Amino acid sequence: MSEKLELLRAIREKIEESGGAKRIAKQHETGKLTARERLLLLFDESSFVEIDAFVKHRCVNFGMETMESPAEGVVTGYGKVNGRLVYAYAQDFTVIGGSLGEMHANKICKVLDLAGKMGAPVVGMNDSGGARIQEGVDALSGYGKIFYRNSIMSGVIPQISVIMGPCAGGAVYSPALTDFIFMVDKTANMFITGPQVIKAVTGEEVSSEALGGAMTHNTVSGVAQFIAPNDQSCISEVRRLLDFLPSNNLEPAPAYETADDMNRVCAELNSIIPPESNKAYDMKDIIKNIADDGEIMEVSTHYALNIITCFMRINGKPVGVIANQPKVMAGCLDINASDKAARFIRTCDCFNIPILNLVDVPGFLPGTSQEHGGIIRHGAKMLYAYCEATVPKITVITRKAYGGAYLAMCSKDLGADIVFAWPSAEIAVMGPEGAANIIFRNDIQNSADPISTRREMIGSYTREFATPYKAAERGFVDDIIEPAHTRLRLIDAFDMLTTKREKLPAKKHGNIPL
Amino acid sequence: MIKKYNVTVNGKSYEVEVEEIKQAGAYTPPVPVPRAAPAVQAAPAKPAAPIAPPPAAVPEGASAVKAPMPGTIMSVKVNAGDTVKRGDDLLILEAMKMENEIKADRDGTVAAVHVTQGASVNTGDTLISIG
Repeated sequence: MSEKLELLRAIREKIEESGGAKRIAKQHETGKLTARERLLLLFDESSFVEIDAFVKHRCVNFGMETMESPAEGVVTGYGKVNGRLVYAYAQDFTVIGGSLGEMHANKICKVLDLAGKMGAPVVGMNDSGGARIQEGVDALSGYGKIFYRNSIMSGVIPQISVIMGPCAGGAVYSPALTDFIFMVDKTANMFITGPQVIKAVTGEEVSSEALGGAMTHNTVSGVAQFIAPNDQSCISEVRRLLDFLPSNNLEPAPAYETADDMNRVCAELNSIIPPESNKAYDMKDIIKNIADDGEIMEVSTHYALNIITCFMRINGKPVGVIANQPKVMAGCLDINASDKAARFIRTCDCFNIPILNLVDVPGFLPGTSQEHGGIIRHGAKMLYAYCEATVPKITVITRKAYGGAYLAMCSKDLGADIVFAWPSAEIAVMGPEGAANIIFRNDIQNSADPISTRREMIGSYTREFATPYKAAERGFVDDIIEPAHTRLRLIDAFDMLTTKREKLPAKKHGNIPL
Repeated sequence: MIKKYNVTVNGKSYEVEVEEIKQAGAYTPPVPVPRAAPAVQAAPAKPAAPIAPPPAAVPEGASAVKAPMPGTIMSVKVNAGDTVKRGDDLLILEAMKMENEIKADRDGTVAAVHVTQGASVNTGDTLISIG
């Protein structure tokens, strides 16, 4: 028996050496951790359990029969994150470049299947040269099997992708099908076709960093939602995000005790809105004032800055916030902002996270580039997502709420359970200047002094209609509140909505305008 | 109209006649009326091409700060040659009924100011270049 034990220990030791000391040193030189180091950081101390360490590839082509692949180039298993069960896999770049073959994919699929059955989140750490070409169509099939599981498990368990090295070609579509993508600055890349192919086909020269680096995907393409300076901080942000998400679609998001007073009055909010309605302010100040301990976790911080999407807790319970940012592009809605918001609303809805909307929106951005880019189609996603969401939805109108954009930001008619307005709210079909020009056209034209008549008319429209009172008279606003009381009113309203039950009609699935 | 069918049941063959009974008021497909060819309209004269603003040449080595949306320049806060830091205000763009601060996206020196107060700009127009 002791011989057999020796053998087991020897084999396991060999597997845990991964690609060997030399390749591990090279991995460290490029600023990257190894697959096993990453998993140990992700999970609570001593909680990670590896499975499938003994799996080997079955390829006998092109000299692969003699090629060793410890753990088949991907370390898989489960463990605890802040005490909750989470599954994970980490591709091992030191083993045949982390390339994906049939058995490598099977290991990932096994973890995804387990996570689905147990109803627990999955974290996938990508660091791979791509498909293992020697395995041919078996490698392709491997990707397909992963895509299939990512899609089927979508909306059932939270799936988080972490890009910590190259991720190119077909490999990008697994992360793209999951709920969130993290990228590590300078070491992570994602693209369908790399710089060499682009050069060969179009003659265009571009670095892989500019083409598909972390900052590119966080700012330009919007493919990734998070960026971190290194592996360590990236993994700690993943842990932080997991704290806002339930284990699966049948559970509520985790609530924690908070020391922040639920009756705290936010006095600063009474003076945060500038007296002139054409002056900007920072919506994030409002969010931080309302949130427990002023803490928020932004999603897509660097993309479509005219809308803010973030998680926060109020009275210990997670809430997803969608807020216009008057400081950037006047807080208008455009194609990118609509896409960003729609995606976030659906993420919150499938994981039972109540939604808070903070509205200060002048309208949709005019222009041919927007119209030809399909703002109708993209804006529709946002409306659709709000209407369809059955989680508690509360809207707070801080200032402007005009026209179609007022509706799009989860108005009463789109299904907001509670709508609050600050006294500074301007809820109307359009801004006073445009409205006065149309409604009082004759008065202005026939006036002896059209300029002063026009100014008068704008003034009277502003006093009469650019207020929250008309909307409240009709019941489109449930209450007009003092800004300082926003936090306690929200805590109360979300508490009241805890037992909300709303069923959509039975259908295969809706047809969101993608 | 009578149609004849051969129906085989358990190996035995039957000859069956089926007649469709036409009722009064039965549906008759409409006869398509040939449509008159639409009169060809004279193509509207092409409007004269708007006079393009002089191309804002970005000096070599400098990067452009572009207009994020269409609007009017309310004020320009820097001059060519000024040193700016990332996040400094460069100009105020009035758009969507709001005074929007356009900020420097990096540290550098203002290489050129391409717009003046009161100018109308479109999305993507170069406002200021920073070298």
